[in-house]
Amino acid sequence: MSTAEFEDVMDLDIEGVEASTAHPAGPTEMESRDVSVWFGQRKVLEGVNIAFPKNTVTALIGPSGCGKSTFIRTLNRLHELIPGAALAGSVLYEGKDIYDAAVDPVHIRLQIGMVFQKPNPFPSMTIRGNVLSGLKLSGMKRANHDDIVEETLTAAGLWNEVKDRLGNAAGDLSGGQQQRLVIARALAVQPHVLLMDEPCSALDPASTLKIEETIRELSKEVTIIIVTHNMQQAVRVSDYTAFFLSEEGTPGHVVEQGATTEIFGNPQEQRTLDYVNGRFG
Amino acid sequence: MSTITFDPETLESLQQQKSTRPWRKKPNRFTASVTLAVVIPALIVSALYLTSDIPVPILLVVIYLPLQLIASGIAAWATKGTRGIADSVIIVNAIGASLFSVIVLVSIIGSLIVRGLRAVSPHFLFQNSVYISPSTPLDYGGIGHSLVGTLLIVFIASLISVPIGIATAVYITEVRGRAVPYVRFFVQAMSGVPSVVAGLFILTIVVATGAFNQSAFAGGLAYAILMLPTVARTAEEVLKLVPDDLRTGALALGSTRARTVLRVVIPAARTGIITAIILGVARVIGETAPLLLAAGNNDQTVVNPFGSPISSVPTYIFNNVALPYPDAVARAWGSALVLIILVAILFTLARIIGRGRVGR
Repeated sequence: MSTAEFEDVMDLDIEGVEASTAHPAGPTEMESRDVSVWFGQRKVLEGVNIAFPKNTVTALIGPSGCGKSTFIRTLNRLHELIPGAALAGSVLYEGKDIYDAAVDPVHIRLQIGMVFQKPNPFPSMTIRGNVLSGLKLSGMKRANHDDIVEETLTAAGLWNEVKDRLGNAAGDLSGGQQQRLVIARALAVQPHVLLMDEPCSALDPASTLKIEETIRELSKEVTIIIVTHNMQQAVRVSDYTAFFLSEEGTPGHVVEQGATTEIFGNPQEQRTLDYVNGRFG
Repeated sequence: MSTITFDPETLESLQQQKSTRPWRKKPNRFTASVTLAVVIPALIVSALYLTSDIPVPILLVVIYLPLQLIASGIAAWATKGTRGIADSVIIVNAIGASLFSVIVLVSIIGSLIVRGLRAVSPHFLFQNSVYISPSTPLDYGGIGHSLVGTLLIVFIASLISVPIGIATAVYITEVRGRAVPYVRFFVQAMSGVPSVVAGLFILTIVVATGAFNQSAFAGGLAYAILMLPTVARTAEEVLKLVPDDLRTGALALGSTRARTVLRVVIPAARTGIITAIILGVARVIGETAPLLLAAGNNDQTVVNPFGSPISSVPTYIFNNVALPYPDAVARAWGSALVLIILVAILFTLARIIGRGRVGR
């Protein structure tokens, strides 16, 4: 794709955003500006500009390998842990660039939590220990651990299932329960933003539904950014959607973004229309 | 939605079904040829054992194994055709090799019991060898002082080598610094250091310089040199098995790298790390040469790790086994038996500690 064409796409993006003014956005919590990403010499993402309004859910959709997961990992500085990773542009959190030399990535990750595709509870800890592990690992002081455990497990929709066996090993839980436990763990450190990288892809429909309810509930207090391959899920949980695409070996980029209703109901781009209707990807 | 229903007759026959293993059923000629293939070589070898003076090991390896291979090959050919022969060769060799290692272990333990058991008694475990000469009857004296020495030396060696070994493994797998290839190379090279060289090294730089006497501490240093590479390499392997998901998971919670390693990665690898320590202890506990040089010998019980030369089970065995007194030789074998039991106890303890699960 030529630069001209690319700018063309970007223009359409901006129109897309303007079209979404029917859903007035609150103040911006996070924003990516011209984010491009490389692994070694290979450019995998190009010029991603997305703003994430406070206390909303934004879904990142697109075919596999288009850089959604890579992008979400740039938002809490996990990207830099991969050898050979590089980045251009800036990621603003509360107006400040998180890649500024003076910023401690540990501090950023404490405020921008993450839930991964595969549930990863710590096997050496109990259910309760897992919920509180963020506090221990980050050295954060919060009183009333019992209350935190109950609050976060309730928020994650797991409390009733585990309240009588908080001392059991986390590995004894089912996959869906483990994923909700991991969500509770992320909430215990009170993040302002929660990144979710395909949190339901390994789960059965019932667990998926529970997590979606949890996401809707959480979005009253937390800004959520979720990568998903499930179109219905994006429609069900998100306020805004960004469609990523990587065509014929070119780096991934945002084809179209805006209010979820617009992206799915009235997309401006033929490629978006094709994708959301399952015609490719 | 429709439900599947059975008429009463079918239901009854279903309820009377017995569980079977159809794949276990073999035609009679299979059973016959396999039985022949097992019985004939065994009969021939038993006959040879009874009628000739061929030593048992030669009988087993030179005569029984080839005979069994041929017999199984023929049986396999008779039942499955040519493609069965390769199978039978592999199976016979695999079973033979496993039997061989079991036989080796059993005969070691058996010879220890036969020659050493008469020396082992309660006082043998708890008394020392003061006033005991090689000709003293087995009613007196013991290896209590050597057991204390061995435990003390192994403890000191673990105290030094386990933290360094784990730290080395953490550097290689978690820190992933630039020196990783060099560190790995040196650890590998270190595992090739002959034990007598480790002893000489400590003798030269610790004992001969006058820094410390021959002592449990000096012996522990020599053992630590030998333990370190085993602990480091095994710990490296088990840390590598910890899924990266857990590391990123911890980092995403705002954890520092140090806390991630100490609170998530190492606890997740706990059982493996205990195995690493066991292997390290197993590597050194019978080493004699380093202790002859660095720890010396003593008939008295010594508990001060720095003060004076100290006895240990391997050096006790070394000093007694070649003496021309049957009772001294019996003491040496008895000590070897005790040493092997001690290792078994340490291993079992470590396994029990390592198995401890989260929660409950």
